[in-house]
Amino acid sequence: MVIGTLYALMALGLSLIFGVLKLVNFAHGESMMVGGYLYYFLATSFIVHLLGLPLVVALAATVPVLFFFGFILEQTFLRPAYNRQTARYDEYVILVTFTLGIFLQNLALPLFGPYNRQAPAIFKGRIRIGDLIIAGDRLTGAVVAFAVIVVLFIFLYRTYWGKGLRAVSQNPEAAASLGINVPRMRSMAFGIGISLTGIAGALLGQIFLVNPVMGVPFAVKAFVIVVLGGMGSIKGTIVGAFILAVVESFGSILLPDPTRALAYKDAYGLLLLIVTLMFRPQGLFGEKVRRA
Amino acid sequence: MKRLPAFGLLVLAILFPLFYKDYWLYVAVIGLYYALLSSSWSMLAGQVGIISFAHAAFAAVGAYTSAILVIRLQIPIAVGILLGACAAAGFGYLIGALTLRMRGPYLALTTLGFAEIFRIFLTAEYDLTRGSYGLQVPLMFAGNKILIYYTGLGLLVMTLWVLYLILDSKIGLFLQAMREDEDGAATRGVNTVYYRLYAFVITSAFAGLAGGFYAHVVGLVSPRMALISEMGLILAMSIFGGLESLLGAALGAIVLQGLTEYLRTFEEWRLAVFGALVLFTLRFSPEGILPKLYELANAMFHRRSQPVKAGSR
Repeated sequence: MVIGTLYALMALGLSLIFGVLKLVNFAHGESMMVGGYLYYFLATSFIVHLLGLPLVVALAATVPVLFFFGFILEQTFLRPAYNRQTARYDEYVILVTFTLGIFLQNLALPLFGPYNRQAPAIFKGRIRIGDLIIAGDRLTGAVVAFAVIVVLFIFLYRTYWGKGLRAVSQNPEAAASLGINVPRMRSMAFGIGISLTGIAGALLGQIFLVNPVMGVPFAVKAFVIVVLGGMGSIKGTIVGAFILAVVESFGSILLPDPTRALAYKDAYGLLLLIVTLMFRPQGLFGEKVRRA
Repeated sequence: MKRLPAFGLLVLAILFPLFYKDYWLYVAVIGLYYALLSSSWSMLAGQVGIISFAHAAFAAVGAYTSAILVIRLQIPIAVGILLGACAAAGFGYLIGALTLRMRGPYLALTTLGFAEIFRIFLTAEYDLTRGSYGLQVPLMFAGNKILIYYTGLGLLVMTLWVLYLILDSKIGLFLQAMREDEDGAATRGVNTVYYRLYAFVITSAFAGLAGGFYAHVVGLVSPRMALISEMGLILAMSIFGGLESLLGAALGAIVLQGLTEYLRTFEEWRLAVFGALVLFTLRFSPEGILPKLYELANAMFHRRSQPVKAGSR
């Protein structure tokens, strides 16, 4: 359940971006990595220590930075493709986001070095619930992730902006004709998507380690989840996250050889991805997309 | 007239070993490997409009097939490489058939998934592949660099020739029509299912060929060949050289590979630089940097005449 909640959070960013911008962000893992480093540096920076601020503040501070980062990225690289109304929008954005990922990853490598860093945990220690012992960092991750997801739902379903985002996601032309600023919504969706992903990265950085390629395995998982749940469907994403968490933990019991089982753990998810794409490309909860 | 620059380049390439020995010759050979990969990839991405992230994995299929066959069965290296290409073509057929109905991001994700599964398989099946240590492979021509260089050059010329032959034929027209509008092409009687598969098989075969060649040049095959960052490199080279120009993509690979060696001192920064370069290219000159430069040079050369639109293919 703990891992499932975190999976859900990191996949939601991807899903939201797909829903509104109709693109798969291939720089997803790297966005996560950026979030992880951001939190690491904020949490270890002297300002936080000097003022004795709780680390939650550092976590909260990553959000606006990441939002801004995503917002700018969309404006620089994705907006022109959208404005040009190119027939080959799909291909262009795949190439751009993929390259962006490669760029960020290889920028982080010389800047921060290839070694691991342990991001300081917000809550140390363990909690015992019955026979179950949960490490503090994982619990924090799950609680914060859950809180963020709740906030996201309130935002999407109770505010004007949220309504706008959902409208653009469903039908951009109609939304535009009703006076919604579609380009603005697209930038915003990308910003929010990157922030969600980044927080997930910051939380995962406390549990695992922060390094330039930390996001890659999680990005692959996020792709699986989003496809499984249906591209752009928020509820589907959450269900997909829990399915993947279960499949992974049961899948690794399936093979007798432990080293091999560990290596193939990621392969199960990918297999799930390919099978879903083949037999039910719209996912479990996705709407059938009209073929253009 | 349009072929003149290409022939000039060929002559330069043939004369290259006269001026450069050992180290730079080796660099050039690796450049040729990437040129094979990126020209066949740009055929798939630029001409047919299928963005596949499995190209590096296909190269690894070719490399491992050839390596294992040569080591276990002692068959000649040339036969091994050819069989590697066949194996890659087979995988290409499989992936092509699986992804027939997919478009854009879905296709990209599936191929990415396949590439990763294959890499995990290579790392995990230690008995067959010796995992991440890689396989030691016998060298081609007992490591004679000049012969290897000419073989690589021959392969590249042959690849480009075959690909251009395909593009110049009716099939090329079909493929490009599918890129612009797949449904439109289908209603006009193009057998899109058949040609999509065809494109996948051909380009994978060339990737496998490149992989086999690489295996016997470097003498070591490892799962690193199928890494996503390897794919990123191919992509960077193709885009830099011009995604819609096969020759441009091949040149882009050689130029970037040369640049890589030149920038050895900045080792860890270079992929970041490449990334930035490609982002810049995509943003400001999506048809590639090299065709643009060529156009500029042409315009300066014939100041009076209209600048020729170069590298449109």
